[in-house]
Amino acid sequence: MSTTHSKAAKAFLSDKANAKWHDKTLYMVRTKRDRLSHAIPEWEELRNAAQNIKQYSNSHLPELIEEFEKNATANGCYVHYAKDAEEYRTIIERILRDHSVRKLVKSKSMLSEECHLNPYLIEKGYEVIESDLGERILQLLNANPSHIVMPAIHIKREIVGKLFEEKLGSEKGNSDPTYLTHQARKALRQDFLNADAGMTGGNFAVASTGEVIVCTNEGNADMGISCQKLNISAFGIDKIIPDLESLAIFTRLLARSATGQPITTYTSHIGRPRKGGEQHFIIVDNGRSKILGMPQHRKSMNCIRCGACMNTCPVYRRSGGYSYSYFIPGPIGINLGMLHNPQKHSGNVSACSLCLSCSNVCPAMIDLGEQIYVWRQKLDVFGQASSEKKLMSKGLQFLMERPYLFHSALKMAPIINKMPRFLLYNRLNAWGKDRELPQFAKQSFESWWKKNHQSKNN
Amino acid sequence: MNSKDFIIHSLRENIKEHFPRPELKISHIVYHDKLKQFIEISAAVGGRAEILGEGETIDNAIRRIFPDASRIACNLPEVTCATYNPDHIETPTELNGTDLVICRGIFGVCENASVYFEQEYLQRSIYFISESLLMLLPKDQLVDTMHDAYQRVPNEHPGEFRGFMSGPSKTADIEQALVMGAHGPRQVTVLLI
Repeated sequence: MSTTHSKAAKAFLSDKANAKWHDKTLYMVRTKRDRLSHAIPEWEELRNAAQNIKQYSNSHLPELIEEFEKNATANGCYVHYAKDAEEYRTIIERILRDHSVRKLVKSKSMLSEECHLNPYLIEKGYEVIESDLGERILQLLNANPSHIVMPAIHIKREIVGKLFEEKLGSEKGNSDPTYLTHQARKALRQDFLNADAGMTGGNFAVASTGEVIVCTNEGNADMGISCQKLNISAFGIDKIIPDLESLAIFTRLLARSATGQPITTYTSHIGRPRKGGEQHFIIVDNGRSKILGMPQHRKSMNCIRCGACMNTCPVYRRSGGYSYSYFIPGPIGINLGMLHNPQKHSGNVSACSLCLSCSNVCPAMIDLGEQIYVWRQKLDVFGQASSEKKLMSKGLQFLMERPYLFHSALKMAPIINKMPRFLLYNRLNAWGKDRELPQFAKQSFESWWKKNHQSKNN
Repeated sequence: MNSKDFIIHSLRENIKEHFPRPELKISHIVYHDKLKQFIEISAAVGGRAEILGEGETIDNAIRRIFPDASRIACNLPEVTCATYNPDHIETPTELNGTDLVICRGIFGVCENASVYFEQEYLQRSIYFISESLLMLLPKDQLVDTMHDAYQRVPNEHPGEFRGFMSGPSKTADIEQALVMGAHGPRQVTVLLI
C-alpha cells in the first residue's frame, strides 16, 4: 500500500538525526508564527479579510488585469502575457536576446521553478545566477528546493562549507553560518555588479498603482533591480490584488505566517524602470484560469506562498520536501500538484493525516486539508486508488452488511493475540510493518455493554 | 488570438461566481507609547532606533553611532560629514565599498519597525549597497500598523522606486542560523529627530 510519498520518505528517514532536526526546526518556526500571530488581537479578522480579498480579486481578474496593465504602462513599464510555461520562457529569452544579455541575476521565484526557466536559459547559453542564499547553495549543488520559503532547509552547514570551499574559495573546514553567508555576500556582490539583467518574481501586483511588490529579508531582489538597467518581474495572475489597502492586509500576514517576523526586511514596490533602463512585467496563466473554474479547488489560488502549511504539517516535517513528487511540497503542494497533473502526483495525497492544522494556520484561509480529502475521493476516477485498500474496503463492507458474521468475527478476534508472529507480521499486513498490533480485548465492547447495562438495570 | 485575449477569455469562461469586494474595516492594535514601541521592535528585528540627543546635531550623532565609517554617502543638506554625494556618481559599481549611507525616511510603522521611503537618490542601489544605513525619521511620524501606513502611501507617485525597510538585511538559509548582512546593509539605524 506504499505510495510514492511514503517510499520516498523512507530515504529521508534513514538519516534519523537529520530527520529529527528537520522536524524540530520547522516546528520552531511554527511556534514563532504562533507567538507573532497571537500578539495581534485582530489576527482572525485579517485572515478573513485576506480570504475575501483573494476571492474578490480572483473572480474579477479580467478587470484587474486591465487596470494593472494601464497603470504599469503609464509608469513606463512593459507588460507581457504568457498563457503557459513555454510562452513565459520564450518571452524572457527574447527580452534577454534583444538586449544582448549574457548574464542574468535572479531572485527567488517559485514561478520560475514551475516553468523550468533556468535549465532553458542555461541551455541557450545564458549564465543564470540565483541570488537568494538558499537558492544559490542549491544551484551550486545542482539540487532542488525542498521548501518554498526555506529552500535549503535540508542541507547541513558542513555541506555548505565544503561547497563554498570548492566553488567560492572559502576557508577549508569553516562551516560557520555567519562566515559562509558573508562569503556568499562577497561573491554575489560581484555578480550583482557585473550582470546584464536582473529578474524577480512577485509577491503581489497592485492593480491600482501598477506596481509589483517583492518581499525579501536578504535584499537580493532589491540589489538585483538596483544594479541592472534591464529588469524583468514575472508573476502568476493570482498575485494581482486590487489596491494598497488590500496590500496592507497581506503585508501584516505574510512574514508572520512564514517565518514569525512582523514583516520582511524589505517590502519593495517596483514601479518605474531605472533611469535609462527598462522594466518588464510578465503576467502568467499556466493553468490558473482553469483552476478558478473549479469550485472545490479554486481557493488554492488564494495562496500567498508563505509556507506556514508546511511548517505545521506533521507529515511534511517528518518526511521532507523531496518526498513529494511535485516541486512544491506540503499541503499546498499536494493540492497544486493534483491540479497540475493528477495522474502524476496522486502519490502525494496520502501524505496527510487530515489533522487540518494547515487549514487553521493558512493566512488566506485555504481549506487545504479538506481539499486533500476531496482528492482522495477522486483517486479511483484517475485509476490511482490502491487496489489493496479497495479490496480491504470491499471485505469490510461484506462483513458490515452481515451482522451475524461480524459478531462471530468479533468473538474470534482475541485468538489473534495467541497467533504465532510469522502469521501476523508478514507482507500481507502493511499495518504491522513498523508497529505492533494492539492486543484484542477478551470481550468485545458490545458484549461488555450488554452485560453491564443489564446488570445495572437489574 | 493573442495571449492576453486568450487569458482573459479563459478567465471569463471559467469564472462562474463573482465574489463581492470586501469592505476592509479592521479594528487594529493601537500603541499608546509609539516611540517606545518603535524603538523596542526595531531592536527585535535586529536593527536599532534612537532619539537624537538634546543639543546633539545630526553630524554628531552620525559620528557617535558610526565612529569607524570612513566613506560616507549623502546628498542631504543637513548632513555635512558626508565624504561624497552619490548623485555625482554614474554606476552602482562606484558606490560599492561605501561604509555608510544616510537617507530620509518618511514615516515609521510601530507594529514592525519598518520605515517608508521613496527613492530620492539618483541610484536606487544606494539603499542596499552600503555596509550600514542611517535613516533620518521625524519622531512625530509614527503610525500603528500597515493599515495606517498604506493610507499614507500615495497612489500616484513621481519616483522610480519606493518601499518599506525594517532592520538590516538578514538570512537564516544555513540551518536556520540568523545572520545579518546577507546582501544589503549589515546594520540599519533609525535616528528619530
